[in-house]
Amino acid sequence: MDSFIRGVTLISQICGIIAAGLIAAGVLIVCEMVFVRYVLNQNTIWQTDFTTYCLVGATFIGSPYVLLTRGHVNVDVLPHYLGQTARYYLALASILMSLAFCAVMTVLTFNFWHEAWTEGWVSDSMWRARLWIPYGTMPIGLGLITLQYVVDLISLLTGREPPFGLKPRETAEDAARAQARQALGDAP
Amino acid sequence: MSPTTQGVIVLVVTLIVLLSGAPVAFGLGAIAIAFLVIFQGFDSLSVVAETFYTGLQDFTLVSIPMFVMMGAAIGSSPAGKDLYEALDRWLYRVRGGLVISNLGACAIFAALTGSSPACCAAIGKMGIPEMRRRGYPDDVATGSICAGGTLGILIPPSITFILYGIATETSIGRLFLAGVVPGLMLTGLFILWTVFILSRRGFRSHAVDFRYSWKEKFQSIPKIAPFILIIVGVMYVLYGGVATPSEAAGVGAALCVVLAIVIYRMWSPDKWWLILRDTTRESVMILMIIAAAVLFGYMLTSLYLTQTLAQGIAEMHVNKWVLMLLINLFLLVSGFFIPPAAIILMTSPILLPIITTAGFDPVWFGVVMTINMEIGLIHPPVGLNIYIVNSIAPDVPVTRVMWGTIPYVGCMMLAIVILCIFPEIATWLPDHLMGVAVHR
Repeated sequence: MDSFIRGVTLISQICGIIAAGLIAAGVLIVCEMVFVRYVLNQNTIWQTDFTTYCLVGATFIGSPYVLLTRGHVNVDVLPHYLGQTARYYLALASILMSLAFCAVMTVLTFNFWHEAWTEGWVSDSMWRARLWIPYGTMPIGLGLITLQYVVDLISLLTGREPPFGLKPRETAEDAARAQARQALGDAP
Repeated sequence: MSPTTQGVIVLVVTLIVLLSGAPVAFGLGAIAIAFLVIFQGFDSLSVVAETFYTGLQDFTLVSIPMFVMMGAAIGSSPAGKDLYEALDRWLYRVRGGLVISNLGACAIFAALTGSSPACCAAIGKMGIPEMRRRGYPDDVATGSICAGGTLGILIPPSITFILYGIATETSIGRLFLAGVVPGLMLTGLFILWTVFILSRRGFRSHAVDFRYSWKEKFQSIPKIAPFILIIVGVMYVLYGGVATPSEAAGVGAALCVVLAIVIYRMWSPDKWWLILRDTTRESVMILMIIAAAVLFGYMLTSLYLTQTLAQGIAEMHVNKWVLMLLINLFLLVSGFFIPPAAIILMTSPILLPIITTAGFDPVWFGVVMTINMEIGLIHPPVGLNIYIVNSIAPDVPVTRVMWGTIPYVGCMMLAIVILCIFPEIATWLPDHLMGVAVHR
């Protein structure tokens, strides 16, 4: 079980690096596009589409990493004010719901990708990009989030992680302080 | 089942799901899929994947990670400290100068980084000890920094405005311009209040006991000027119609990263990774909520819930200012619990038809909504700024910091009232520079 958890964690971390790379590529290509269009006065063909696809890819591929690092924003008022048992069941319900959503979306986006792949869809821009490539990031990313949620579920059920990652007696104020310390630590 | 009953059910379930602590993006998506299946059957699922994807396939969205990266690059460098020093050295002898350099540095730094906690941390580390050294009351020293940090989401470039623009199909350029004068007005209100309360309690808000030499004054400029020039350049390029927001932001982000590396000698790749990692985390989080909010919005419109709500409210013939008050109260309460990005993406598509039917300007409302969101940033229980300031000055009790922020919350509410009386404060600059909007 531990090796499964470690494996998924590693994949999620790699996803984070890939997503960061895609965002960096997006920035560089926008600069290249500006140079070609405004300095060389030439038309740009593929840059707009490519940057958008990079971003879509980064969003889906990066999502498991963001989940792993608890970066997806949530409303944590209720978890903070509930007792241990209620907090546990709330965490269970919220994980199951998110897991179900991601699993259903993986199937739906896989079908969508498959259609684009078999019917050879291309973008209606000048570039005529093959759409299965950007569409493919959806089932991959969502599938990996589903796996990450399975890990979260196992960790919760076996007591490896406390519900919502909160320590037993942690209150809203403690969590806010921890966040504040992190923000301060990052600032020079 | 009538759309009204469906609407009530959707509202209640959405509240329950959001409060469950599940990520906003997945919660909204799950609600959208569940209600589509319940009310329209499994056939409705055929468009879900495409809707989810199209939510992100928009070149304008590229500007979000670019502006986030710009902020992350500046935020991870010691630029905040230099900015504070520069303003302090030039303004310390002016009446109210110490307050102006604190809140002014907050306003500029918040605009550069777009991040309220980063601003509080950077300026607060310098400003709070300095103010306390001069014997200023703790609540004023901490409260003013808390409030100053919130200015970033109002003064352009602001991600909050980009999200509002995307969610309501309002011009982002127009929104940015609309935020300028209210942003300056709010900064002015903060400064006025601080100077007033200090002088009432018998403190001087300028220094008389020492002098900076001209050399020291000029020394502080070169490090900070390039960043300000980049932001001004980005704005100029945007409004000169030279480039799109995404192009301007992309080049701005690349330049900010390069400058941060060169000026502050951030040669270690670890630091580059930190900038990129923070950019990725923040952007992915926002973009995922956008995709889910588009799906959620699709569910609302295909079940005619948005239209029914707008029509229902119009038929109630409520006075439009009572309506505005109720909307603001609703946003204020939401802001206590939910981060601004999520509130704007979820509520603005629903609120927009109500606002326009009542005869309000959507750009003006964007500004009002943003000021309202700022209040949530310094109000417990979410108010992260309060805890950051508390970590900088641990001997000041949290309750004292909270009391210190209350007058500034009052300033923000006053700003909203002033904007309601004189909407031109927001609309004059965009109308003047970009022509009068067609939606009126």
